[in-house]
Amino acid sequence: MISRRRFLSAGAGAAAALAVNVPASHAETGQVVVGTWGGDYGQLLSDLIDKPLLAPKGVEVLQDVANADPRKTKLLAERQSRRGSMDVACLSDSDHYIVAATEAFEPVDAAKVSRLDKVFPELRTATAIPHIYSAQVILYNTNQVKAPPTAFADLWDPKWRGKVGLVDILYPNNTLAAALAGGGSVSNFDPAEQKLMELRSLDAKVYPSNEALAAALKSEEVWLTTMWLARGFMWKKSGIPLSHVVPKEGAVAIVFEASVPRNARNKDGGFTYLDAMLDAKAQVAFADKMGYVPTVTDAVLPEELAKQVSLGEADRAKLLKPDYAYQAQRSQRTLDFWNKQFKA
Amino acid sequence: MALLVVPACLLVLALLVGPMVLMFRISLEQFSPTELMIATVSPDNYVRAATDPYYQEVILSTLGVALLCTALTLVIAYPAAYWLARLQSGWKSLVVIATMFPLLVGNVVRAAGWMALFDRGGLVNQTLLAIGVIREPLALMYTPKAVVLGIIAVVLPYMILTISAVIESIPRDLEDAASNLGASAMRTFWRVILPLSAPGVAAGSILVFVLCMNTYATAVLLGGPRFKMMAPAVFDQFVRGNNWPMGATLAFMLLAVTMTFTVLGSVVFARRYRVR
Repeated sequence: MISRRRFLSAGAGAAAALAVNVPASHAETGQVVVGTWGGDYGQLLSDLIDKPLLAPKGVEVLQDVANADPRKTKLLAERQSRRGSMDVACLSDSDHYIVAATEAFEPVDAAKVSRLDKVFPELRTATAIPHIYSAQVILYNTNQVKAPPTAFADLWDPKWRGKVGLVDILYPNNTLAAALAGGGSVSNFDPAEQKLMELRSLDAKVYPSNEALAAALKSEEVWLTTMWLARGFMWKKSGIPLSHVVPKEGAVAIVFEASVPRNARNKDGGFTYLDAMLDAKAQVAFADKMGYVPTVTDAVLPEELAKQVSLGEADRAKLLKPDYAYQAQRSQRTLDFWNKQFKA
Repeated sequence: MALLVVPACLLVLALLVGPMVLMFRISLEQFSPTELMIATVSPDNYVRAATDPYYQEVILSTLGVALLCTALTLVIAYPAAYWLARLQSGWKSLVVIATMFPLLVGNVVRAAGWMALFDRGGLVNQTLLAIGVIREPLALMYTPKAVVLGIIAVVLPYMILTISAVIESIPRDLEDAASNLGASAMRTFWRVILPLSAPGVAAGSILVFVLCMNTYATAVLLGGPRFKMMAPAVFDQFVRGNNWPMGATLAFMLLAVTMTFTVLGSVVFARRYRVR
């Protein structure tokens, strides 16, 4: 039976083996399967990490492209298997917490990832490297909103009736914003339920994807949303007239992380990949293209770019770290409320 | 001869029955946010899903959409199937290929194309705005109508080809004989063609109904986040909530409702059109 890894690499692997006349098994020793998002993120990984940093070391990278949900499900389903299908798994911090709780990932330490000492200490975790990060802010249309809101709570102002748009897949983050607007915290989502019902009565629109929300912001169907600052940066670059506000309640951080599964077939290759993800030059390029902020101390952004994608000193002080354990414990209630009450 | 079915049976056992047995076992387990599921044997998930007004509404909505789409598809497909069956032109094979063409395009690709057409800033709204027919863009997406139309466009070829194959087997002489005996075209249709094509109608309707009940991509992409159908609800539990036991439970509930209506439909058809 042909394995998935062999299937994925059939073309490249066979061609390489034929070209250099070496056995296929030898050609595979430097092969790393990276479970990642597609689109810009996957392309930038390929352009900034795979080709310039790993190809010269003889590491061949194969991307297993999928959204986070299927990848998380695959990691959970495979965690009892002796051999998994990924050597590196890219997940958001919240998703990483859930999968890491099942002991699916290898511990990360400086012996395996040499650049770990350059990582901002507050972003470190035991089983992942932080690749890039951003913060949840309020985005608004500059043509339509002349007096922008200053807090999440301002989105509940009746004058924005029908003009607030949310993305369905970001329901945990929308719920957290509602909790903060209602006086809750990262560890108390209780106020979110009433606030979400109020927002529903204010005709908030729900879109199935980030792209659908971007189209609605562009067509001015909606004027305001809560979203990653980085995503707003990309939308602005694409010509949508947007600006952002760091909400008074605090900006919730989102970190995109990468880990090596315990059942990875090429753990050494996986850690080599994690190390390359922390390359300063590559992280600056990610910030320039996608608006996500570097996670290592030696990646310095140009001043103009830093203004657009980073938080100022005062706003950084308001950066909130999610309570992952609380979020995970409450995940079913959050999803049920979102589906059964808010969207009903 | 019986050995001929062995490969097919083995394939079904390995790829359908095996996973279903596993899923049924999972549906009896208990969800845990941190451990995924806790091994137990309990009907709790079934009780919770069956008594939850939300899932009752989702089931009813799914049934309603599936029955409506099946009925409308039948009404639209039958005349086309009849025409196709009686077509004697050399172009017939091309027409059959053209009928099948929509099946060659994936549901997601097709729905993405519709989004480009019918979105608020899509081609239809832009054109109507440009020629002054409307002042504000119309809400064409994320409505039940969009889902129903989308599903019909997907399943129409199945119904046309199934019914057409049966009508082709009905000798034309029977229509001529009915006409010679004074029956009008309508009377010939009701008394001769429709009863004789009933097996095709039944097979096509069942096939289409099952496809409609399990609609996912069209419901999500055209119905939007607020539209309720079972397949997206199953996906939600499995993938977004990581609640495999509840996801498996909902999947079996969907299967049970689909099977019940399929069997009921088959029995009604068989009684109504059985050969006397």
